[in-house]
Amino acid sequence: MEKFRVLFQHFQSSSESVMNGICLLLAAVTVKLYSSFDFNCPCLARYNALYGLGLLLTPPLALFLCGLLANRQSVVMVEEWRRPVGHRRKDPGIIRYMCSSVLQRALAAPLVWILLALLDGKCFVCAFSSSVDPEKFLDFANMTPSQVQLFLAKVPCKEDELVRDSPARKAVSRYLRCLSQAIGWSITLLLIILAFLGRCLRPCFDQTVFLQRRYWSNYVDLEQKLFDETCCEHARDFAHRCVLHFFANMQSEMRARGLRRDTADRDPEPPVTPGPQDGLDGGGSGKAHLRAVCSREQVDRLLSTWYSSKPPLDLLASPGIWGGRGGLNHRALTVAPGTGLSQHTDV
Amino acid sequence: MDKFRMIFQFLQSNQESFMNGICGIMALASAQMYSAFDFNCPCLPGYNAAYSAGILLAPPLVLFLLGLVMNNNVSMLAEEWKRPPGRRAKDPAVLRYMFCSMAQRALIAPVVWVAVTLLDGKCFLCAFCTAVPVTVLGNGSLAPGLSPPELARLLARVPCPDIYDGDWLLAREVAVRYLRCISQALGWSFVLLTTLLAFVVRSVRPCFTQAAFLKSKYWSHYIDIERKLFDETCTEHAKAFAKVCIQQFFEAMNHDLELGHTHGALATAPAGSAAPAPPEGAEEEREKLRGITDQGAVNRLLTSWHKCKPPLRLGQEEPPVGNGWAGGGPRPPRKEVAAYFSRV
Repeated sequence: MEKFRVLFQHFQSSSESVMNGICLLLAAVTVKLYSSFDFNCPCLARYNALYGLGLLLTPPLALFLCGLLANRQSVVMVEEWRRPVGHRRKDPGIIRYMCSSVLQRALAAPLVWILLALLDGKCFVCAFSSSVDPEKFLDFANMTPSQVQLFLAKVPCKEDELVRDSPARKAVSRYLRCLSQAIGWSITLLLIILAFLGRCLRPCFDQTVFLQRRYWSNYVDLEQKLFDETCCEHARDFAHRCVLHFFANMQSEMRARGLRRDTADRDPEPPVTPGPQDGLDGGGSGKAHLRAVCSREQVDRLLSTWYSSKPPLDLLASPGIWGGRGGLNHRALTVAPGTGLSQHTDV
Repeated sequence: MDKFRMIFQFLQSNQESFMNGICGIMALASAQMYSAFDFNCPCLPGYNAAYSAGILLAPPLVLFLLGLVMNNNVSMLAEEWKRPPGRRAKDPAVLRYMFCSMAQRALIAPVVWVAVTLLDGKCFLCAFCTAVPVTVLGNGSLAPGLSPPELARLLARVPCPDIYDGDWLLAREVAVRYLRCISQALGWSFVLLTTLLAFVVRSVRPCFTQAAFLKSKYWSHYIDIERKLFDETCTEHAKAFAKVCIQQFFEAMNHDLELGHTHGALATAPAGSAAPAPPEGAEEEREKLRGITDQGAVNRLLTSWHKCKPPLRLGQEEPPVGNGWAGGGPRPPRKEVAAYFSRV
């Protein structure tokens, strides 16, 4: 249990770790999907190549799109790309960085599928059995070309009566599997070398620019999450006060109608002035959450302005439309770095 | 239990991963249901297609409706749709957003069912076994000798290995491989198409309606949270009502009993004992009632909540400190934020 807890905490520690976690999960799902998929080569002349290549390429494409879908940062990137400039200029370098990080993570699951398919060999055998050169194998010497083609098309199907227990079939199958595995391992080696070189050589080029871009892309992601969180808190407080107002209004309405005269003797309490402070744990904190945004029009205006004109990345600038920076600074100071990013429930 | 709690906590850590978690669970449940289902092709010419079409289409419909029904927010959507406008205008964009997000989540299980059915191939095999091109795959010269109904009857038995008797015309394995290959190709194409559609919808949306989307998202969260808070407040009120009602009943009984006793023996009882002091905490309970203290008033309150929701305008209680960022005391600990994460 301890190691699960440590693992989960590690993956939640930053948005990059969360994305890595999702990427690994998708790779594991791919392995399971491949092993549970029932491969079924048609063993017919034209269909083999279509089926084999289709199975080698279509699921990776679908998995790539799934990887993009499951990654929150792809949406954040498109939002950052399409937002109006407003007070905050756009840096194409950040968008490129986010794009490349999203693409790298989304490519993991498709590559796992392709490598599994190649190392397993069934796809390759199915796709290329008809394209094998019969001259390489002595067993085909005394068969007509059409017979050879028919035979080769049935090579992937071990149980077919034409090719059952045939040494020629086994020879072709072994040859193709060997080729498939060689290609699979070569691709694996190439990818690992590329990843290694990419990792080692990157500090040689533009390290400072890279660090800046990584910082700001993380920032954009976190800012979006915090904005959503703040909107949720605001909605909660808005709703709370709305409901309390409603109860208080009903009470005053009924008092106005004189409907409490029969209960006034039984409830000798002083008339409660309908105050929005009722029920809130600390009026100051409630007001702080609402931040003077208390009507539908104000909320709509806030959200439109957030979209069309994000505030500049300058916490000490003179107060403009967004008022004092003190609030932001204050929040930044009171939120401890480790806890601000995760949203553990403090029940 | 600890493991589940941690997994749940991880999935809940942000809205996005929670939604992904729910999607994953529904997909798994659908796949599991399919593997537990015992497919049983009738192998009769007229019935094959009907059975297969039924298996391909009826469970997805059921799963879709189940997905909608199990989503608590369906009733919220219906309520918001049918309520009288009262003092609060209705926004069709919010309704559309709520419906779209619920429909998207409810579509996952049906899509997975259809994909798994096609990738498995039994359903397709059962439906199209009579349409196999015998002339190409089998002994084409013998096919014209059979009348179409005979041929159909023969081919309809392809999915059932124990009763198939047409090996002289068409090897069963060849037909099965052929149909399963087409079925799997269709299945993967379907999967690709659905993921492409989902990707396009998700990625292209920020290009067009981002501002409207932010508003709809906020207000749909708000409606969800408001409904939950109202229910909570009503429950508190009902509890306080019940407590006070019962206390008053006991007090009244007590009073009656004492009156009965004083009529008899204790005629010189001090006046103070006639009306015992209410227990501590009774004052708190009465405050929780917020002045709504009889059945008629409660009914009126609930009717008014439905017919005429209050406007979305709280009014300024006091002028904002400085410039709107009321940064009063330290930020309070977030006690209940996660509990009110809307599931829309």
